[in-house]
Amino acid sequence: MGVNMVKVYVIDNGGQWTHREWRVLKYLDVETKIVPNSISFSEIEHVDGLVLSGGSPRIGIETSLGNCAEILEKADFPILGICAGHQYMARFFGGNAAPSTVPEFGKVELTVLNTDSVFFDKVPQKSIVWESHNDEVIAVPDTFEILAESENCKIQAMQHKNKPLFGVQFHPEVEHTEFGVQMFKNFIKTCET
Amino acid sequence: MFDTEAFIKESVNDIKNKVKGKALIAFSGGVDSTVCAALVHKAIGKNLIAVHIDTGYMRKNESIEVKKLMDSLELNYQFIDASKEYFTALKGIIDPEEKRKIIGNKFIELFDRVAEKEDIAYLIQGTIAPDWIESGDDLRDTIKSHHNVGGLPEHMNLTLIEPLRDLYKDEVRKLARQLHLHVSERQPFPGPGLAIRIIGEATPERADIVRNACFIVEEEIEKAAEKGLIELPWQYFAVLLPIKSVGVQGDKRAYGYVIAIRAVQSIDAMTCTFSDIPNAVIDHISTRITNSMGNKINRVVYDVTHKPPGTVEWE
Repeated sequence: MGVNMVKVYVIDNGGQWTHREWRVLKYLDVETKIVPNSISFSEIEHVDGLVLSGGSPRIGIETSLGNCAEILEKADFPILGICAGHQYMARFFGGNAAPSTVPEFGKVELTVLNTDSVFFDKVPQKSIVWESHNDEVIAVPDTFEILAESENCKIQAMQHKNKPLFGVQFHPEVEHTEFGVQMFKNFIKTCET
Repeated sequence: MFDTEAFIKESVNDIKNKVKGKALIAFSGGVDSTVCAALVHKAIGKNLIAVHIDTGYMRKNESIEVKKLMDSLELNYQFIDASKEYFTALKGIIDPEEKRKIIGNKFIELFDRVAEKEDIAYLIQGTIAPDWIESGDDLRDTIKSHHNVGGLPEHMNLTLIEPLRDLYKDEVRKLARQLHLHVSERQPFPGPGLAIRIIGEATPERADIVRNACFIVEEEIEKAAEKGLIELPWQYFAVLLPIKSVGVQGDKRAYGYVIAIRAVQSIDAMTCTFSDIPNAVIDHISTRITNSMGNKINRVVYDVTHKPPGTVEWE
């Protein structure tokens, strides 16, 4: 592995697509590794960025996802929360997440609300994303803003107002999300600085 | 990107270091096990023994083709017809997870028998990422127990080696092309075979029905792809449903079972869309199935579910 490679690890919360996140990062020439969510912050404090994976129903809204609280509290590098990781991120910073009125599975049209966000750079305002969630964020923390929505889920993406923290309800790591790789590239760019 | 040459070099070295003496490979003849066999063969040559098991739930002509393939790869192999054992073990079994576990356990039981006779300590499997991901673990929910992971018994005598564990099918296909294996584009076929394409009890009679239906679906879809009417789907097959519906066949009331046609597009099996097959092609399949299966099948439906929420196979 090159010395100058950006290092972005994946925190495994037990998602079906955790390994896909690892693969997308690897294909983008990032030094990456899947680590369990029980890992202590001191073991990963040298990374340039983190992805918090998804997981089974309710874990993002009822549990503390292993050691994710310590990680979110201490990290000064960019973090991308996906699905359960996104829900927990919202709860950790004072927002709220709950079971979805209309869960989404498979193909959904995403509408970007904040086209200036670095996360959606070079991503059209409307695109197809792939979903698989029973729960969702119902209130963003005061320090966050909503970046994107879908017909049945009003908080599809969010971003911290002055820290490089991002959360997405959909799954940018799967093949069927049209601009998923671009979103990962955008996230990696925030990790390089 | 995926560097096939580097991967081949590394895994051949790795296998050389790990395997002392003889190893057995579970050889289905699909892309994963064939690539795996080619890699291990490069590493340990004739010390590799390929074992192909006819479970009785294979597709039409499958075992003949697999024998040819093992010959062409110059593999040291054993062919075991265990269909009677499988039919007996699955008698009365309806639950899909139970089916998968029984099939997985039986595979190991049969491999153990060969290993003992041949003094083999290693079992090589062509397990790829979706197999262990979907089989579940301490963190992950079990979506389905893949026979080669979740179907394994808790205690195993053989040491397991899985060189393709971190790869997805598109990457394995790239390796297959690099290794000049003609199976590189073969559609995936699940280890438990037709047993999980029979919803309900997988009796030998019902295996025959779904085998014929799968054969028709494969032939018609491949014909349509050759003519350029469709892009060849990622996977395409028939499922036998345990419900009956009323029909009319030759002025006579019919009350037969239903066949579902499933065809999907995918890159890695982790997400899929159902294939957009023209109605004319579906028409050919439907008419051929209902007209060639007498009073057993009188209705055909097309599955229009993506993954998620569906999976590719029904069980």
